Amino acid sequence: MSATVRAMRHVRGFDVVRPVSIGVMLAIMLPLVLLPLASIFIFGTNKGLGSFWAALTAPEAIFALKLSIVTSFWATVFNVLFGVLGAYVLSRYMFWGRTALIVTISLPTAIPTAVAGFALLLLWGKYGMIGQFLSEEHQIMFTPYAIILANIFVTFPLAFGVLMSVFETMSRSLEEASATIGATRWQTFWHVTLPSLRGAIVTGALLTFARAIGEFGSTILVSGNLAMRTQTAPLYIFAKFNEGQVEAANAVAIVLALFSFVIFSILFFARDWLDTD
Amino acid sequence: MQSEEFTTIFGSEENGAQASERETTAAASVRGLSKSFKGTRVLEDIDFDVAEGESLVLLGSSGSGKTTILRIIAGLEEPDTGRVILHGKDVSELPARERNVGVIFQSYALFPRMTVEANIGYGLRIRGRPRKEMRREVERLIELVGLEEHHKKYPSQLSGGQQQRVAIARTLAYKPQVLLFDEPFGALDAQIRVRLRREIHALLKKVNVPAIFITHDQEEALEMGDRIAVINAGRIEQIGTPHEVYNKPETEFVATFLGAANLLLGVVSGQNISVNAILVPAAEETAHFQDGQAVKVVFRPEDVCLSRTGALPEGARRLMNGIVEEISFVGAYERLTIRLDLTGRQPAVNEPPLYNVNAGATDTKTGVPIIVTRPKAEVSALPFNPDDHVAVGLTSFRVLPNFTLASERAGKIVAARK
Repeated sequence: MSATVRAMRHVRGFDVVRPVSIGVMLAIMLPLVLLPLASIFIFGTNKGLGSFWAALTAPEAIFALKLSIVTSFWATVFNVLFGVLGAYVLSRYMFWGRTALIVTISLPTAIPTAVAGFALLLLWGKYGMIGQFLSEEHQIMFTPYAIILANIFVTFPLAFGVLMSVFETMSRSLEEASATIGATRWQTFWHVTLPSLRGAIVTGALLTFARAIGEFGSTILVSGNLAMRTQTAPLYIFAKFNEGQVEAANAVAIVLALFSFVIFSILFFARDWLDTD
Repeated sequence: MQSEEFTTIFGSEENGAQASERETTAAASVRGLSKSFKGTRVLEDIDFDVAEGESLVLLGSSGSGKTTILRIIAGLEEPDTGRVILHGKDVSELPARERNVGVIFQSYALFPRMTVEANIGYGLRIRGRPRKEMRREVERLIELVGLEEHHKKYPSQLSGGQQQRVAIARTLAYKPQVLLFDEPFGALDAQIRVRLRREIHALLKKVNVPAIFITHDQEEALEMGDRIAVINAGRIEQIGTPHEVYNKPETEFVATFLGAANLLLGVVSGQNISVNAILVPAAEETAHFQDGQAVKVVFRPEDVCLSRTGALPEGARRLMNGIVEEISFVGAYERLTIRLDLTGRQPAVNEPPLYNVNAGATDTKTGVPIIVTRPKAEVSALPFNPDDHVAVGLTSFRVLPNFTLASERAGKIVAARK
């Protein structure tokens, strides 16, 4: 008897749970994620593309976007180069304190970005531990360099984590085979190790860039948020919104959202290419 | 491919008389290798030579240290003591890339982002050979290993056997001094394994490069090896031709690891060995033993002959009687378990050959069980049933010292080898 009931529930007839659960998911996710995103596009374009374009091409907006892209770019370059170096060293050599080093490198992922920015200020600021020894013209806080520094601090664990996991799962026998064939360490790295890292490097770079271009908490502390000097795109959105210029904020927000859509799409649709080893 | 073409690939100008001369010098030698990992001895005083064109198989169970030997020869692992000599040159201090050895890894370790061509050409590419020469060499090697249709494929698009051939071609490209195979057939299924074994064996004979194989598979060892070194717990138990190692095992380990073996305890008594009440004539086998020494009589299941009448074939020596306990059919042959009657005695002159067998009743379980195998023809000529009484003879057997202490045994082996 009970067996028939069970069989019926699973196999026959209309399963109520299915539409209900799908409906609940939609009801939660729509207002949580999709509607806010949709609203920036709807709001940004409801006065016509002309006003959107005007808001976007305002010199301050252009500057903010450029600054964000440039600082994120240099943080990405740094992360890829030193991420590869760090992951290579930490996966290939066993030494005292290795695990502690790995934990330390990965720590910023768990640190609130405002704390990260504040910490950088305390170190590099005019009266900071290192900053006090720098002359007036070499101060790096409240300059674009500070933004790059903050970006690196916050995003390095992302690139490092992706690269490290690939290094650790990479078969050692490939490198050993290359060595027995007669390759030098550098040849092995260049011809064997690096090609296997291709996906990880692209993934790490995209993650860094996506994270850095939207970085707010640490940037606002170390940059000083000076318009046309150290104001990045997220800071611009914040500043314009505070000034009541919602259209200006919205235009830049749309651009940042599109950036992340593109990056997410690459990571999502090219994942087979990025994963192959 | 013709043999002339091979000589051009592998540059062996010395043919005929010169080649036979070279066979006397070792292509690869290992002297006194020892290695410990975290205080555990994994290798102890390993010594062997591989002649030009010879295949040596290192046979041992997992954990016996055989892979470590291979890695030391390749330069991927450093020994605590000992030397590696390749064609007369001591390479012990050289890094892996300067040793010019070819390693075929168990996983093949093909470069996943390179095509078959690029994999095979890798050794030439990093040596900076001209592109034209490289292409010609790669072409020949691809033909040699029969992968003409797979030039542009990536390793992931190839079968296990094809990947292995790419791995071999990749090492042959730079004319290695010795090829090292790490469990080459471990990752393949049984049917392909047998075929590939033959292919590689033939290929090695063609290219005349000395090879060292590692395996735990005794059948593979017997087939691939010109000689076999049986390794146990980091030591070489015995090294010799497949024939020697199989038919004349020097230690109990070798006898039991390589094929099945029956063991009986006995004592040397003049030119005989007494196994309980029975004297087995063994003038030749006991020559190296002292009277009264404890020994083990070791014999293969196929070296046992059985008879109902007690009449044994020429050359077979009467052991004792037994009772057929179990018969099983194992494909090509029949396997019997015979319970030997240890309290029995040899039949006296003119006594009927089948006297009373004490170990008879299966419930008492006295006596020693041995395993016997018989070919089909013999089975149909003389079928047995369980509980039949049979006379047991041996066509050949080995007598080994019965050591009690490991140290005593180790000393004896060293002495026996010298």
